[in-house]
Amino acid sequence: MAEERLATRTQFSASAESQKPRLKKAPEFPILEKQNWLIHLHYIRKDYEACKAVIKEQLQETQGLCEYAIYVQALIFRLEGNIQESLELFQTCAILSPQCADNLKQVARSLFLLGKHKAAIEVYNEAAKLNQKDWEICHNLGVCYIYLKQFNKAQDQLHNALHLNRHDLTYIMLGKIHLLEGNLDKAIEIYKKAVEFSPENTELLTTLGLLYLQLGIYQKAFEHLGNALTYDPTNYKAILAAGSMMQTHGDFDVALTKYRVVASAVPESPPLWNNIGMCFFGKKKYVAAISCLKRANYLAPFDWKILYNLGLVHLTMQQYASAFHFLSAAINFQPKMGELYMLLAVALTNLEDTENAKRAYAEAVRLDKCNPLVNLNYAVLLYNQGEKRGALAQYQEMEKKVNLLKDSSSLEFDSEMVEMAQKLGAALQVGEALVWTKPVKDPKSKHRSTSASKAANFPQPLGSNQALGQAMSSAAAYRKPPSGAGGTSQLTKPPSLPLEPEPTVEAHPTEASAQIREK
Amino acid sequence: MAAASPSDSDGSRAESREASSKWLDAHYDPVANIHTFSACLALADLHGDGEYKLVVGDLGPGGRQPHLKVLKGPTVLTESPLPALPAAAVTFLMEQHEPRTPALALASGPCVYVYKNLRPYFKFTLPQLPPNSLEQDLWNQAKQDQIDHLTLKEMLEGIREKAEVPLSVQSLRFLQLELSEMEAFVNQHKSKSIKRQTVITTMTTLKKNLADEDAMSCLVLGTENKELLVLDPEAFTILAKMSLPGVPVFLEVSGQFDVEFRLAAACRNGNIYILRRDSRRPKYCIELSAQPVGLVRVHKVLVVGSTEDSLHGFTHKGKRLWTVPMPAAILTMNLLEQRSRGLQAVMAGLANGEVRIYHDKALLNVIRAPDAVTSLCFGRYGREDNTLVMTTRAMHRTFQTDLYLLRLRAARAYVQALESSLSPVSATAREPLKLHAVVQGLGPTFKLTLHLQNTSTARPILGLLVCFLYNEVLYALPRAFFKVPLLVPGLDYPLETFVESLSDKGISDIIKVLVLREGQSAPLLSAHINMPVSEGLAAA
Repeated sequence: MAEERLATRTQFSASAESQKPRLKKAPEFPILEKQNWLIHLHYIRKDYEACKAVIKEQLQETQGLCEYAIYVQALIFRLEGNIQESLELFQTCAILSPQCADNLKQVARSLFLLGKHKAAIEVYNEAAKLNQKDWEICHNLGVCYIYLKQFNKAQDQLHNALHLNRHDLTYIMLGKIHLLEGNLDKAIEIYKKAVEFSPENTELLTTLGLLYLQLGIYQKAFEHLGNALTYDPTNYKAILAAGSMMQTHGDFDVALTKYRVVASAVPESPPLWNNIGMCFFGKKKYVAAISCLKRANYLAPFDWKILYNLGLVHLTMQQYASAFHFLSAAINFQPKMGELYMLLAVALTNLEDTENAKRAYAEAVRLDKCNPLVNLNYAVLLYNQGEKRGALAQYQEMEKKVNLLKDSSSLEFDSEMVEMAQKLGAALQVGEALVWTKPVKDPKSKHRSTSASKAANFPQPLGSNQALGQAMSSAAAYRKPPSGAGGTSQLTKPPSLPLEPEPTVEAHPTEASAQIREK
Repeated sequence: MAAASPSDSDGSRAESREASSKWLDAHYDPVANIHTFSACLALADLHGDGEYKLVVGDLGPGGRQPHLKVLKGPTVLTESPLPALPAAAVTFLMEQHEPRTPALALASGPCVYVYKNLRPYFKFTLPQLPPNSLEQDLWNQAKQDQIDHLTLKEMLEGIREKAEVPLSVQSLRFLQLELSEMEAFVNQHKSKSIKRQTVITTMTTLKKNLADEDAMSCLVLGTENKELLVLDPEAFTILAKMSLPGVPVFLEVSGQFDVEFRLAAACRNGNIYILRRDSRRPKYCIELSAQPVGLVRVHKVLVVGSTEDSLHGFTHKGKRLWTVPMPAAILTMNLLEQRSRGLQAVMAGLANGEVRIYHDKALLNVIRAPDAVTSLCFGRYGREDNTLVMTTRAMHRTFQTDLYLLRLRAARAYVQALESSLSPVSATAREPLKLHAVVQGLGPTFKLTLHLQNTSTARPILGLLVCFLYNEVLYALPRAFFKVPLLVPGLDYPLETFVESLSDKGISDIIKVLVLREGQSAPLLSAHINMPVSEGLAAA
């Protein structure tokens, strides 16, 4: 019975519709825009099903003349990913009312989304003729030029857009151009202005903070990251960056509380778990550190920094075989880093494979340019093997590096390293020619045995420093540096802005070693 | 509906699932079947009896049956059909003299329907828009057959490309036609004058000359034609006309028309324009870079909800003050004003079913509704000063689907019953029969009595058979098949038979009784008799 009733009802509406058109006498034309308000209301509430139903009805009634209905239908198509269809509908709209710049803008936007940047630019220029003072047109033109890598034109258009009306997004794009060009100072300049304009935009604050971080201006970096966190206490990028800064300064507990906030929001972030692991390492909770690092490694098996840290922790735990395993994996991903070979050599030394340890050291020395530790460790090994001449050569190499470092900055050296170097110096009878910043303790006679045993835990304190630096850079370098082509959709405007977090820290491994020296 | 919580004295009509101390759940009707927007909700003392009613411009299911509903307490007081979908409903005082009962205005299509005492009182229609003079000339020429159809088409197309004033629907239709259809179309329509009509997209009220709560108010209309009109409350003449760069969607007004007022209009182009009394064009413009989904003024701050899931606060000069992110898409917004405490706050209904209440940036309260809230209205209802009315979206849908499912299942079961003649009442018109069976005895021998009744008014039934279907391992019947005597209408015929239970294991089974017509294999009736367990055997 119920079915019957349903059937009759549908019949009813069908017959009513078929009756409507073509009454003999001149019919009143329906008002085209009759239900535009309803379409719009459904559209902004994202109730697309209801919206489509009204659109269909409206188009049927007006025989496809209702421009706004077509327009919204096209917008919905675009949201659903049917960009080609949306483009066609927008073109229909542009035919229905050729004077409307809005339609042209949408046509251009669809072209832009289809990757036809040149065509998009043409249409935008058409639209700009109809509406001179539209920041959106200028902004989008700028974005198109970015994709075409015509950065000068892009800058001009974006500046035009800013001149017409200031929007955060335009600043971000402009900053991005400077980053793509590798001009950090200019990018910072832009972001500064942007932050001035909208001081509560966390994305701008974070980006600026990370740029400062990259330049090593820690005070300002911390200030901006902190600001970002006051407005949005769960900002992933800002917390990670701020946390790694705290870690560098040894505030492991504070850093951990910060990470706790992110862990619930982004539980599958490898850099986060890496940093948490290194916090535990700093607190000497090695098992926790290893489990966190393993998790990070599980989430990002190809991240050499995590592998490096794992190797380091295992060295500390005197689990040399595991350390060797992780370090060699790290070397596979990052074959150009002296420190990695050095750690590998330490692991090999402890595994009593002196031959390979020597080869690893040789590789480390070949690759490394500024870290005196590499040479020192090598010298210790050579000395222990009785190869005094080789040891002496390495010792002198180390002295050179130390002098170089002392000239360039007034950093303090790790006390344990200094002590070891002095012992070795005495053993090699080079004397105390080397002037360390720290006062020298009297090197007693029991060098050989001590240095041998010391060599084993040698990398430990030093390693921890390094690890922290590393942990940080791994947090920071989460985003790959802009690889020239901005071919991804990251540069698009919202609402099509992807959710993909796009952290903006660009710390390079060199920065990490800088921090070691800083200690 | 009165609420008397010690911490706060708010009442809530729709419900919050968690027992929060701030609100009392007054009434929740999941099957109210109301489809509406915040703009179509109003609370007003329509009869001047101190009992505030809720006015709902209901779009009806699927936007097909628009109704004006007036609710008093939990019940619908009146319900009247509307000629077209309502875009907005407001109540306002239209004259000074007593009794001061507010009138109700409903905007729908190009008209505003004004009701007093819930009776139709006045209909205001938007004035026709001036047609394009060139287009008018062309059609005049066509009327006098001075112009052929192709030329007409070309000329009209020329107008469409260039002209400031858009073409009428008639011309647009004409441009779509094939050559063969033009003749008939022109002949049919040429005598008519060109018309251009626009529709109302939004409506609000503006105090005329006094700021008092019970002062006269003007209606402010926003039209599809990108204009704002202010109507005189008594004469319904257009007092002022302002034009906007976009189609207005939401309006927010403060001040008095005769003194000074500020008007904020959120438009479809994503901008918000702010106008003042003397400005015929917008004075300030806020560019949102997303569509506004709601506009509320709290004291001097304009609060805008955008499709980027955030609330923004702006000064009345368009300077951004703050931004608050929301956990889900905003569906609707409205003002919460508690006069006794001088509290004004913004309510935002979110797609995740929350209603969030903000005072500036500070979150005051979160109400969890059983579903996404589509409209909100706060004010005096009944005799309670602070009532929140919410309508939800999918509630009705769920109900509707469930109802359809229920009906479908019932229909299926019924059809199945008919097909297998399982019912104890025969369905065919020719043999209206009723059957019921009684089992007597403790066993192992039972007495089974079938009561057959002819329920027709006059016609006797002849030639019926009764057949028993049973498991022969368990039961034995003296006759499994016999003839039924003539059935006189209305009389009850008891037909007795004995059933012997053969099993000693205390099991029972079903015996099927089929009533058949001689010469037909499909039964007229059937009954399943659940036999009782034989007690006698167990006792023995």
